[in-house]
Amino acid sequence: MKKGRARDGAAVNSELLRRPIRNCFWLFLLPTLAAFAIGFIYPFIKGFYLSFCKFTTTSDANFIGFGNYISAFKDATFVHAFWYTGLYAAVSLLLINLLAFIIAYLLTQGIKGSNIFRTVFFMPNLIGGIVLGYIWSMIFDGILSQYNTSILMETKYGFWGLIILMCWQQIGYMMIIYIAGLQSIPEDMMEAAKIDGASRWHTLIHVTIPNLMPSITICMFLTLTNGFKLFDQNLALTGGQPYIWQDDGTVVKTTEMLALNIFNTFYGESSGARGVAQAKAVLFFILVATISIAQLKGTNSKEVQQ
Amino acid sequence: MANVTLKNIKKIYPYVKPKQKKGEPEKKTNLKIVDGGVVAVDDFNIEIADKEFIVLVGPSGCGKSTTLRMIAGLEEISEGDLLIDGERVNDVAPKDRDIAMVFQSYALYPHMSVYDNMAFPLKMRKVPKDEIDKKVREAAEILDITNYLDRKPKALSGGQRQRVAIGRAIVRNPKVFLMDEPLSNLDAKLRNQMRAEIIKLRKVIDTTFVYVTHDQTEAMTLGDRIVIMKDGEVQQIGTPQEVYRHPANLFVAGFIGVPQMNFYDADLLKEEDGYYVVVDGFKVKLSKEKQERLAANGVESRKVTLGVRPTHISIAKDKENAVVSTLDVYEDMGSEMYLHVKVLGKESIVIVQTVDIEEGTEFHQGQEIPITFNGDVALVFDPETERNLEF
Repeated sequence: MKKGRARDGAAVNSELLRRPIRNCFWLFLLPTLAAFAIGFIYPFIKGFYLSFCKFTTTSDANFIGFGNYISAFKDATFVHAFWYTGLYAAVSLLLINLLAFIIAYLLTQGIKGSNIFRTVFFMPNLIGGIVLGYIWSMIFDGILSQYNTSILMETKYGFWGLIILMCWQQIGYMMIIYIAGLQSIPEDMMEAAKIDGASRWHTLIHVTIPNLMPSITICMFLTLTNGFKLFDQNLALTGGQPYIWQDDGTVVKTTEMLALNIFNTFYGESSGARGVAQAKAVLFFILVATISIAQLKGTNSKEVQQ
Repeated sequence: MANVTLKNIKKIYPYVKPKQKKGEPEKKTNLKIVDGGVVAVDDFNIEIADKEFIVLVGPSGCGKSTTLRMIAGLEEISEGDLLIDGERVNDVAPKDRDIAMVFQSYALYPHMSVYDNMAFPLKMRKVPKDEIDKKVREAAEILDITNYLDRKPKALSGGQRQRVAIGRAIVRNPKVFLMDEPLSNLDAKLRNQMRAEIIKLRKVIDTTFVYVTHDQTEAMTLGDRIVIMKDGEVQQIGTPQEVYRHPANLFVAGFIGVPQMNFYDADLLKEEDGYYVVVDGFKVKLSKEKQERLAANGVESRKVTLGVRPTHISIAKDKENAVVSTLDVYEDMGSEMYLHVKVLGKESIVIVQTVDIEEGTEFHQGQEIPITFNGDVALVFDPETERNLEF
């Protein structure tokens, strides 16, 4: 009733309750914000700055401009890792999504024991990447030793080995997302398609897949970013072998992917290359961010609002 | 354009016993369980003539939708034969039965425009493009949705979506047109409007209709014949007037007609000059046709459940030769009054036309109102078997 303004009880109450909270909302935001700042924002900015420096420890960094970036682009191992990762991401994106969708589709057709299969297919996700890499390197070598060779002997073995490993690990996860998507498609829409004369194939193409776009978007995003960021499995399975010695003395690790390349550069023999590794990391970030945003935009536009 | 015959159609679902917690008594179910499983539809027989409009009506869980889905081919037929144009189609796929169906949820394809939704069944049947265009535009014209052809379903209102769903069904001139509660997702006003449109639509497309609803008004207004179902069993098949005037049993009597029919415990007396019904001392002679039917069935004097519709009861001049009722509440509808009264301890409704009562007549709670009815509107049922004794 101050200032002669008439207020009802609820308004007074909510005003009284809200004002102190509104005034100190920073306090409530602080824990998460602090964690985010310490764990992400600060290292990110610092890392970005260091990519323009020559340094061995972060405390004695000297600003040198774009030198690190030029070195990164001149680095044959980085360029190779770039193309190798791109190829790997493309192939794994296609294979994982295709296979995960097929399995999800089969497991939603009311087959007996579907639940057991779902659990079994999902289980590889529960094993860590390094462990998986070592287990699969043993399996591959067990098979390849029959032909007197090893996964470390040829680039194509390493490539397809990694593809098989990642399919094995990720299909189950993507399958769960696809199953959820398939189950959310209304049953009577499928029945309407049946009555409208659509065959199983036509129903799949014209009804099921268009209505599954949200799941397809999320799965593509996950497999694409996972593909580019892959590290543990790469390190454990081949660690970059086999190597090729260039004429100028550099060693190209033929199955080395971007993340592993950055890691190897940073912790490599010449500590002077840390700035270069930092520059590579920034380039890597820009690449992954650009591709995944483009992909999200592309598939999002195909999603239907119910 | 086809006649549809259902011969001894049965639907049995496998019975899954509900999990029982330790120490809990076994839960009672009113499911009909036989060796094979749960009976959802039992022994359904009907011959639907070409261009007839049949309405399946009943409370939820009565098996009406299951029956429709069996005709559509979405549900397997456990026993019996389904014939379309004399041909047994039990094992024919839905798309080859030449039927169309409208779903309660419309079941439109959300990623397609209205035009593509309607064109879809024709595209699947490889109809030439120019013909598809012609047919879609024709159907859109009939349903008054030409302006929305480019829109996606989400940009349409419920009524418009249902029109699109109907459009998708009529574009290919199906032999049989199936509708599964098409109006129950609409609000009351729109429902009345769409109901009228379906009556109009029927004149235009002129094919065999099977329509499922739980709403008796829809059943009465739309159907050439009505099939009333309960617990998987057909209770009665007949024209709207037949089931209204001559319900086969207590269930049909109570289900058809709003407000519900009033039921009283009464005595049927067979005297020398014919049958009388006695309720609370009020004695009324049954009409000639009823006399004949009861006599033909050899009905003797007995206890009966008497059924009289609220509109068939009138207020008596005096308490002599009338049933005395006590007024609970009354609702003034303008053209008529709904009097909720107690008769012999049972609640019942009396509808009186306002033209029949003097202006300024006042009613108050607890008021004693003598009521009466004629012998031609009284229905007598066996209290045990619930059958209409005239049948």
